[in-house]
Amino acid sequence: MIGIFFRNLFRDLVRQPLRTALTLSGVVWGTFSVVLLLSFGDSVSKAQMKRFHGMGQGIVLVFPSRTTLAWQGFLKGKAVRVTPETVEAIPEKVPGIELISPEFVGSRLISYGRKEFRNTVRGVNPEFELMRNTIAGKGRFIDAEDMTARKRDCFIGDVLATDLFGTEAPVGRNVLIDGVPFLVVGVMRTKLQNSNYNGQRDERCAFIPWTTYSSLYGAKYVSNIIFRPRDLGRSKAVMAGVKGHLAKLIGFSAADPDALGVWDTLDFERQFTTFFLAFTVFLGIIGSFTLLVGGVGVASIMRVVVEERTREIGVKLAVGARRRTILWQFFSESLVIMILGGLVGFGLSAGALQGAKAFPAGGFTDFVGVPVLNPLVIVSTVLILLAIGVVAGMIPARTAASTDPIEALRK
Amino acid sequence: MIELQDITKVYRTGSQSLEALRGISVKIGKGEFISIMGPSGSGKSTLMNIIGCLDTPTAGEYVLDSDKVAGLTFDQLAAVRNRKIGFVFQNFNLLPYATAWENIELPMLFDGKNGRRRRERVTELLNAVGLYEWRGHRPSELSGGQQQRIALARALANDPPILLADEPTGNLDSKSGEEIMAILTDLWREGRTIVMVTHNDHIAAHSERTIRLFDGQVVA
Repeated sequence: MIGIFFRNLFRDLVRQPLRTALTLSGVVWGTFSVVLLLSFGDSVSKAQMKRFHGMGQGIVLVFPSRTTLAWQGFLKGKAVRVTPETVEAIPEKVPGIELISPEFVGSRLISYGRKEFRNTVRGVNPEFELMRNTIAGKGRFIDAEDMTARKRDCFIGDVLATDLFGTEAPVGRNVLIDGVPFLVVGVMRTKLQNSNYNGQRDERCAFIPWTTYSSLYGAKYVSNIIFRPRDLGRSKAVMAGVKGHLAKLIGFSAADPDALGVWDTLDFERQFTTFFLAFTVFLGIIGSFTLLVGGVGVASIMRVVVEERTREIGVKLAVGARRRTILWQFFSESLVIMILGGLVGFGLSAGALQGAKAFPAGGFTDFVGVPVLNPLVIVSTVLILLAIGVVAGMIPARTAASTDPIEALRK
Repeated sequence: MIELQDITKVYRTGSQSLEALRGISVKIGKGEFISIMGPSGSGKSTLMNIIGCLDTPTAGEYVLDSDKVAGLTFDQLAAVRNRKIGFVFQNFNLLPYATAWENIELPMLFDGKNGRRRRERVTELLNAVGLYEWRGHRPSELSGGQQQRIALARALANDPPILLADEPTGNLDSKSGEEIMAILTDLWREGRTIVMVTHNDHIAAHSERTIRLFDGQVVA
């Protein structure tokens, strides 16, 4: 039976090579489109997510502002002032915070030798490094000793390092920040960053201990707070806790919508994820339409094959084949064509992706990433291929199975 | 035992209707050799199709081996055709791209017989019709007589008690025709029921009894 099956199939495929080639090309091209579009969508999503994580991962930014509600005798418009000590003490009062740092931001003159730049200086604590992905590529980030001793140590962005030092190694050298010498203890690892707040991107910033910052510049109140909830899904609840705590401590209404500006990147990340999922699905649907055309091709060719083999179907029915048997015979023939086309399509797209990888796209790669044939793409494509294959195979197979044996034998 | 009671078959095409069979009652006993004769359009083929469970009557009752056939579904009828009835056609109706061996094997595949039993039975049948050497050939490589012998072997694959032959010698020269009739006669002597449609009085003379049809009715 298997022998006959494959001989039949092979015969149908080989007898009319042009017809076979055209039928297969529809499926091949469809599979090719689905794979390429899906892997492109996937890589763009991942590249964008990576850029987004350049600003930080799982963080909530809080910007103290002015009250917009009168509260307990205070008129509205009162400035909300938060000291760094208050910030450091928040986790003792509000549960669910993994990391937290106050942040001072200022624009200051940074110089080395004859080179001088007016860049952003941020006063932070060591927990900032993990939250904001300012990972040390050389040396280290600000540490606990820097904090307690108010050391004049600084950690600088990679672009600032190149601007100041050129080819020299920055770690261990002194720079002047507003004329005060600071020891460079580390340089940030290069990263992609597509979002930012208050000042320049991290690649051009200098980071110093907030203790040093406040004592040196007399800054009392932080420009913002940055924290990461322990359970990323509960960022809203933790933020409500922080706000309630600060409201009581500093004196503003916890119901005041604008006393604290909040940028919940987790919220943003969820929208971002949803958007890129929709984007990828959309591309997948476009690809599926192409594949659908291929499926229509298979269905119509199989109808012709059924028509040509009506007599054979009649004979089989006469000697005792069930309708189901006939159905399966033609259904599986269509599926084999779909699978064959799918395999060739996968092969071609794998080749195309490999070729694309070899092409240096430069900065373009930062935006679209490198499309690869990952399991998600493969599984989705196989599912789409099967769904279309089943429909495309069922239609002619049902026609075949409903053949009237008497009519068929009379032909 | 084949028992047809008041069988009517009406074909409807749009508003027109054609009565192919009008109240036919026929009894064919086990082991009989019957020929059905009649001019074109007399309803011979329709009657054969009904006896062969390829078609169902519009009215009337058909009892095959004390089972009513009327109420069976298509797949149940397929099983009846597969096990109880062997078909021999005027134009052989072999699968053109399958070998002689595969053609004979076909009914056993639909019956789900295992490989060893199929091999044994096909070998036996090929030897019986004297075409074992031709087992790997396609129908197009065989003569008409050889093709009809392969078709006969296929009809016998599941060892059915009834053989239905529709003009089995119609496409053959007289020598091959006689050979086929000799095999049919042998099969009848072994105890099989044979129902044959023919135009040819000479061929019909091999049978025990002739049913003559005219205009959808039995005339003799």
